[in-house]
Amino acid sequence: MSREYFSAFPNAVLNIMPQLGIVEVAQEASKACGKNIEASGVACIVGILGDLTGNVIFSMSEEGAKGIASAMMGGMEVLEFDELTQSAISELSNMLAANSCIGLSEMGLNVDISTPTLMQGVFTLSCSYENCACFEMQVGGSRLDVYVSLEQGAQDKHFSSVG
Amino acid sequence: MKEIKVVVVDDSPFSVGMISSILSEKGFRVVGSANCLQEAVEAVAELKPDLVTMDMIMPGADGIECTEAIRVLHPNIKVIIVSSMMDDEIVQKAKKVGISGYIQKPVDAEEIALLINRVMANEELFIELDGLYSDAFKESMSIILNKFFKEEPRFTDQLKVNDENTSRGFSVVMGIIGKYGGRMLLDMSVETARNMARYLIKEEALNFDVIVNVIAEISNIIAGNACSMINRTNSLYGFRVSPPTVVYGEVIKISKTQLSTVSSVIAETSFGDVYINIGFSRSACHE
Repeated sequence: MSREYFSAFPNAVLNIMPQLGIVEVAQEASKACGKNIEASGVACIVGILGDLTGNVIFSMSEEGAKGIASAMMGGMEVLEFDELTQSAISELSNMLAANSCIGLSEMGLNVDISTPTLMQGVFTLSCSYENCACFEMQVGGSRLDVYVSLEQGAQDKHFSSVG
Repeated sequence: MKEIKVVVVDDSPFSVGMISSILSEKGFRVVGSANCLQEAVEAVAELKPDLVTMDMIMPGADGIECTEAIRVLHPNIKVIIVSSMMDDEIVQKAKKVGISGYIQKPVDAEEIALLINRVMANEELFIELDGLYSDAFKESMSIILNKFFKEEPRFTDQLKVNDENTSRGFSVVMGIIGKYGGRMLLDMSVETARNMARYLIKEEALNFDVIVNVIAEISNIIAGNACSMINRTNSLYGFRVSPPTVVYGEVIKISKTQLSTVSSVIAETSFGDVYINIGFSRSACHE
C-alpha cells in the first residue's frame, strides 16, 4: 500500500504537542522496523478500523512520559509514574490517535479508533502486520516513537477469520 | 422509555420559565431549577435528575464550573448547554468536561426535545451494554476454548473493578470500535500460551512466532464472537475488533484504564490460567 498516509501520525505529534505547551518538537527519522518491536518504558496501543486497519503504538521512556505528563498538567512536578501520570499518557495517546484520524480524513480516508491500552515495563510488541513503520519524534528533549502497523482494505481479510 | 427528569439551570428567571415550559410541553418532567452554582448543586443532590440544562454565563461560576461541581455528586449525570453564546471556544471547553450537547438560545422546542431524547437513549444503550458485555465475553471464551481444546474452562475471580495489573508474561491487546470504544486484553503465562499452541499445532519444538500467531488468532476469534453476540442484541452497537497486538516480556504492568466500565475474569484451563479483561468507554467513537 501507499505509505504516504502514515505521515498523518507524526504530523499529529507535531500538531498536538505545542497545544500542550511543548513547543520543541521534531521528527528525527522514519524507518521500517519489521513486525516485532523491542520497547522499554511505556507503550500505549490504540486500535484502528475503517479504510485502514491495524494499530498505532506510542512508546516512550518512563522519564520521557513523566516529562510530557508534567507539561500536560501545567508544569506540575511529576515524580512517580503514578495513576495521574498514566491517565495523562492515555489521554495523550487518545488525542494523538484522534488527531491522526483527522489528518487521514483530510486525505480521504475514514477510520475510527479504540480506547488506548497502556503497558509499562520491558517487553516485545508483536504487531498485527509485517513491516511496521516507525517515526522517531523528539518531544521537549525526550524521545517518542510512533509505530504504525496498518493495512489498507485489510478489514475484509480480517473479518473472514472472525467468521 | 422512562420519564426523564430535568433540572434547568439559568440565572435568568425568564429563561428558566421559557425552557421549563418547552420541556414540559415536550413531555419531560421538569423537577426543579437553579440560578447559580450553589443552587444547582443543591437541586441535583435533592432531586436526582437524569439531565440538567445548563446556561453558560452566570454570575459567580460559568456552566463548565457548575457542571464539574454537580458531577462530583452525580458522576454520570447528563448535561446539555443551553446558551446564547455558542462559539468554538465554548464548545471545546464543554467537550473537555463531557457535556452531552449544546443548544443555542432562543431555544427551539423540536431541537431541544430531539437532543435530550438522543442523549438519554445513548445512556440507556450504555447501561444495557454494561449489563451484558461481561457475560458475552465469558460465554464466547467458554465456547471458543471448548471448540479448540475440548474442555470447559472454570471461571474464577470475576471482578468489575478498574485496577492496575501485572502481566503473567504474555498479553494480547485488541481494540473494540463501534457505538462505544473499548478494548479486550487476554493475559497468560508464556508457558500457558506455549501449551495451548502445542496442543493445536501438535509439535514439540514451536517457533515463538507460531505461538504468537496462534494465541493472537484465538483472541481475535473470542473478541469477534463476543462482539457479534452483543451486536445481535442491538444492531446500534456495531462493534468490530481491530487486529491483535501481542505483548510479551519479563516485567509488564498493565495500567489502570480510563474506561467507564471494566470487567475481568480468570478462566482456569488445563494449560494454565487465562485472564481476560474487557472495558468500554462511555464516549462514542464517532463523535
